Order: sequence, then structure tokens, then C-alpha cells
Amino acid sequence: MNVLFILAVMLCMAMVMIGGKKGAISFLSLFINFLVLLGTVYMMNDPANDPILWVIIACVIISCVNLFFINGINSTTIAAFLSTVITMVALLLFILFMSDLTMINGFGEEEVDELSLLSLYIGISFAELAAVVIISTIGAITDISISITSPMREVYLHNPGMSRRELVQAGFAIGRDLLGTSTNTLFFAFFGSYLGLLIWFKDLSYSLGDIVNSKIFAAEMLTILCAGIGIALVIPVASWITAFLLTRKK
Amino acid sequence: MKKRLTSASPLTWSLYAILLLSFLGSVYFIQHNHGFYGQAIATVTEVSVEETQELSDLYGNEDMLYTQRITGEIRNGEHEGRAIELENEYSLSGANDHEYRTGQDLFVFIDETAGDGANLSGTIDNVKRDQYVLAITWIFILVLLAIGKKQGFYSIVSLALNAVILSYALDIYIRTENANLLMIASVSVLLFTVTSLLLVNGFNEKTYAAIVSTMLGVFAALLLASFAIWTSGGNGLNYEEMQFLSRPYEAVFMAGLFIGSLGAVMDVGITMSASIFTLYEKNPDISIEAMKTSGIDIGKDIMGTMANILFFVYISGSIPMLLLYLSNGATWPFSFSITLSLEIARALAGGLGIVLTIPIGIFTSIFFIKRKRAAQ
Repeated sequence: MNVLFILAVMLCMAMVMIGGKKGAISFLSLFINFLVLLGTVYMMNDPANDPILWVIIACVIISCVNLFFINGINSTTIAAFLSTVITMVALLLFILFMSDLTMINGFGEEEVDELSLLSLYIGISFAELAAVVIISTIGAITDISISITSPMREVYLHNPGMSRRELVQAGFAIGRDLLGTSTNTLFFAFFGSYLGLLIWFKDLSYSLGDIVNSKIFAAEMLTILCAGIGIALVIPVASWITAFLLTRKK
Repeated sequence: MKKRLTSASPLTWSLYAILLLSFLGSVYFIQHNHGFYGQAIATVTEVSVEETQELSDLYGNEDMLYTQRITGEIRNGEHEGRAIELENEYSLSGANDHEYRTGQDLFVFIDETAGDGANLSGTIDNVKRDQYVLAITWIFILVLLAIGKKQGFYSIVSLALNAVILSYALDIYIRTENANLLMIASVSVLLFTVTSLLLVNGFNEKTYAAIVSTMLGVFAALLLASFAIWTSGGNGLNYEEMQFLSRPYEAVFMAGLFIGSLGAVMDVGITMSASIFTLYEKNPDISIEAMKTSGIDIGKDIMGTMANILFFVYISGSIPMLLLYLSNGATWPFSFSITLSLEIARALAGGLGIVLTIPIGIFTSIFFIKRKRAAQ
């Protein structure tokens, strides 16, 4: 028996037992997202394909799955979709710019020792592959945008006289309440996956200067902090877009 | 905006002042900190490509290799101000090399025996990245404060606090012989949960219920993951990517799984307890059954997205490594098992923690409400 198979069966059972039909859909969407990622990797494996373009395509498909497949197509999910895509593109440009400056493309010297048997000259641009950092936050960004657009619509339905400005402020207030728990979710997930590296840094008693300048640490910091920036950034974007779409209809 | 500015208290103003001062101070320091490094640092002043070579390996991958001649100026130590000649090889793909540009700071080894007298000669060791790490940290802080205000501030404080707790816990682990990493991780997880939830929600029964359900939730996830590993004899998990550790990597993996699922489980825990307590506060006579039904309804809505968030965080980082294996002629199942098995196991176990925290959160909150009712 395979550990992954057992865990997947347990997760599927738990989701269906507690969530019923909605639980089954949640599990299915996880599986679909996994297939989308594998498909993206398959396309990126051909050096003729632009990794950045395929990251964007993957993110758009994943947002569609997370928003439209689970919640249906309606004005709320469309607003959330627009917010997700805009935030994502802005964040992607920022990530590419920062990772180019910081030179965190490819693998750290610590990782390369393990790869001595592999050919590293594979013709795929690792500088452009830095774009995959955005995928780590796409789940959180779609989650926050739908969590802002959906209650904003409720608020507007109950108070149709609200001005655009008041609506934006309502959106900001909803978003701010989500900020703490969402950033926490991501931070701990990153802490968990970097635990091995952290222990290793400590084992080799790296100095602060060694750590801060090492490629792996800089790449980790960039990933964690960009995730936090993305979560914060989607709040104004979703508030503005939803307020605009809601008041425009009048 | 105007109203907020005039109503800002002296405390807020002094906070802004401290922020501005530390921003300016740290930026100035990082631009002028060359003297604090023991290793020589050179700023690239001139770059030229000397040689271009086409490459192709046995798997049919095609790449270009360039040789760069670099002139730099030493910025610190005994050779400060002198010019240095460096050579650099970089490829088009850049898996483990870089194309250097003028203005960049590089850590270099100076070769004392070589050089033509006028100029030094040496080799490049690493890129100086500290100023960029600082820049992105400041952008993060400023964006979170500008958009999140008070909540943004709490997020930053909680990130910093949790990072310090984690670092301290790992120090204890490294220094203690035969230390049990899972024990240390358990204590840290308790500390993380208590500080994060108290910081966000303050001292009240809602928070206590969330803390209890979070702890039960992550332990349930850990237990089920251990169960899955035990029944299958660890079959399907490939620890290749942790091979660099001189530590028992199974324990490191389990501790990572434990800490990694904590944030998501905490999110679910506080959502469940907050919504059930709100139901109770709105209608203190609400039946236990009604609370359970509403709780399950809320849980259904969040479990999919939460599991998704964890899944993407874990998987995305492995994509470059997966591509490297695939390009080196490795089969999909092999590449997959080497680069993704641990991440998927973490995501699935974290998902289990999330889903189980829904009923756990409902029962814990109801337990606290029952106690409150009995006390009245």
C-alpha cells in the first residue's frame, strides 16, 4: 500500500462524510487542480514554451476551477475572478522583477550538491521559472477575493443606497478581518516545508550574513513575503472591482 | 483621509516616526555595510562576453554557455579600492549560474598569488543579496500596514513572533543531544497557537475554544499521517530531497507536516468557534442541534478552499526540481515520487487536519457554551 493513496482515501472519506455532496466536489476540485499543475509542468518541459505564459494560463484555469466550478458562474464569482487575475498579474510582475534583482534563479549551491548526476543545462529558463512562486498563493488569493466580493454583494443588497466609496470601505473592512488568519495559514505552511532547510542552516552554524545572502534563504523570503503581499493586495483590488461592478448596474 | 490624519493620536504619530527612522536607518546601513563582512566584496564595474558555446547533452537538451570577463572594484578589507579581474561562466537556462551586470555586489575570493600587479585576480563566491532581502521585507511591511492598518500590523508582529519561537525551538533541538523533534515541535505548536490566536482575538472563551480545537485538529492530522505511514510501511514516501540533512529525516518530515498544517487548522478552528459563538450570542436559547447544523454548513463552505490553499503552497515550490528530473530523461513516476511525494503527503495530511477540525471545532465550542450556560 502507498502512503499517498491511503491519505487520499482518508481525506476523500472525511470530506464526503462531513461535507456530503459539497465535500465530494471539494475533493474533486483538489484532484482537478493537481491535474492542471501536472499539465502545466508537461507544457513547461518543452523549452519552446514560455514558462511565464504557462504559469498565467495555469493560474487562470485554477481560478476558474476554484471560483466557477465550486460556486457557479454569477456576478460575485465573476468579480472575484477579475480581482484574482488582476492581483495575480501585478504580483507576477513584481516577483519577476525582484527575483531578477536578487538572482535567485535555479537552485542553491546547497541543493546542487545533491544533483551532481543531473545535467543542469536543460534549456529551460530558470529565471522565468521564478514565476511559479505565484502558484503558491493562488489558492489564498482566490479564497480572499470570493470572501470579499460575496459579503459585499449582500451588504449592497441590504443597503441599495450605498455610495461607491462606502462600498469600497466595507470591502476593505471585510478584507482586513481575513488578513491575519490568511497570512498565518500561508506562513505556517511555508515554515513547515522549509523546516528541513532551517535545521540545516543551524546545523552548519551559518552566520547571519551567510544566511541572508544565500540563494535558498533569499528565495524563501521572497516566496513568503510575496505571498503576504499578494494577500494584502487582493483586498483593495477586490473591493474596488466589486464596488464598481455593483454600482455600475444602476 | 483628512479626518484620520487629524484624529491620529500622538502614539500613532510616534509609531510612524519610528517606522520611518528604522526604514531610513536600515536602508542606509545595508548600502554601507561592506566593512562588516569578513569576505571581500567587489562591485562589478565592467562586463564583457568573451566566448559563446552551444551545448547539447545526452537527453537532447540544448543550451548556450557564455564566458564573461568581469572587472570589479574591491569595497572592503585590505585591498579596498583596488580593481579585480574575474571570470564567470553562465548558461541560458541558469539553473546554477548567473549573468552578472554592472553595479552588482559580489562576494569574491582574492587569489593573492595571481594577478598582474596592477589588478587583483580572483573567483566569484556568491551574490550579495542582503539589500534585496531588506527591500522586499520593507515592501511587505509597508503594503501590509497601508492596506491592513491595525490588522496588517498584527500580521507582521505575529509572523515575526512565530519566526522567533521557531528559531529558538530549533536552537534547542540542535543543542540538545537525542532531542525529540516531535516533542519540541508539539510545544512550539502550542506556543504558536496561543500567541497567534490571542493576538488576533484577545482573551475570551471564543479564543479558548479555538485554541483547544486547533490543538486537537493538528494532533489528529499527525496521528492519521503516522497511521498511514505505519500501515503502509512508509511505502511511496521518498526522502531523497531531504538527504542533505544529517538528522533523522522522517522526524523532520513529520515535524514539518505538523507545523505546516497548523496555520490552516487554526484558521478553521477560529472560524468555527467564532461563528458558533456568534449564533449563541444572537440567540442565547439556541438548541445544540441548530448549532451543529449551522456549524457543519459553514464547515462545508470552507474545507475545500482551505485544503486548496495548503495544496498550492506545498506543490508549487517543487516544480523547478520536477522539470530538472524530467529533462534528464527520468520517467514521470520516478520524478514525481522523488520531488513531490513528501509535498503531497503534507498537503493531504493537512487537508485531513482541516476537515477534522470542523466537527472538533463544533463540539469544542458547544462544550464551552454548555459550560457557560450551566454557570448562569
